Amino acid sequence: MRQAGAYSGVMYWKTGPHSLPLARIKKIMKKSGEEVKMISGEAPIVFSKACELFIEELTKRSWMIAMQSKKRMLHKEDVASAILATDVFDFLIGLIFNETAATAGDVGESENISVGC
Amino acid sequence: MADAPASPGGGSHESGEQSPRSNVREQDRFLPIANISRIMKKALPANGKIAKDAKETVQECVSEFISFITSEASDKCQREKRKTINGDDLLWAMATLGFEDYIDPLKTYLTKYREGDTKGSAKGGDGSAKKEAHPTPIPQMAHQGSFSQGVNYASSQVLSLSLSLPHSNKNVHVLSQCLLKKKQFDCPRGV
Repeated sequence: MRQAGAYSGVMYWKTGPHSLPLARIKKIMKKSGEEVKMISGEAPIVFSKACELFIEELTKRSWMIAMQSKKRMLHKEDVASAILATDVFDFLIGLIFNETAATAGDVGESENISVGC
Repeated sequence: MADAPASPGGGSHESGEQSPRSNVREQDRFLPIANISRIMKKALPANGKIAKDAKETVQECVSEFISFITSEASDKCQREKRKTINGDDLLWAMATLGFEDYIDPLKTYLTKYREGDTKGSAKGGDGSAKKEAHPTPIPQMAHQGSFSQGVNYASSQVLSLSLSLPHSNKNVHVLSQCLLKKKQFDCPRGV
């Protein structure tokens, strides 16, 4: 057990802040397209933080929607509603619709849309 | 009587060796759910609970986010005839795609990382000689000129258009994105 994080700044920045695994991020990046071949060492580090910010934002927005329905537990529908209500998350709409179509058939998404805006 | 000397390896095993490669495992497509769950919990109040299906949805969304940003950055690299996607490209892509709010925290984060990492190697596991990594008050004063310049270039254009546009105002924001794209082509030096 090392006293990492106390004042050893270097070790902290090697291990602590990257709350998401860099190798996995790199793999996902490479799968984004055929033309993605070379990725600088800094790129996954940027993503490790960016994904954290993204998860936080998506979670907070979903939670606000869950609260509006007086729920204390965050469900997939809340995440879907948050995506539909937020324009920067438009790129996720396809993913949400595919999922709902695959799992729940014809669930009325239009009801969810009205919650947000 | 050699049948096919040109083809290496036994033909009968071909399909067996190809399939695991084409069939992508879940571990390769998504970030670990435990890490995602931890970050999600951090964003909620103490009494907030998260259902498993919500975690899985966010997990998928994060992979989609990475692909979305990477594709945009990759397009930019292709246009500029560069082969390596770097941090600047990703920040530019995020600014372009509406995630300009992330730029400042990312710049600060990267500056801190670089400060803690300047003496050692960027990828190696061994620590560098530097003892402490104190945060820089002004992120614009990053050491790497190209990086800060690139980001300022991107974010200043975005900010000039979206200063008074909250995320919730959908129509206006979409309009601003269209304007932004146009503006980037019209005046490369922005504000």
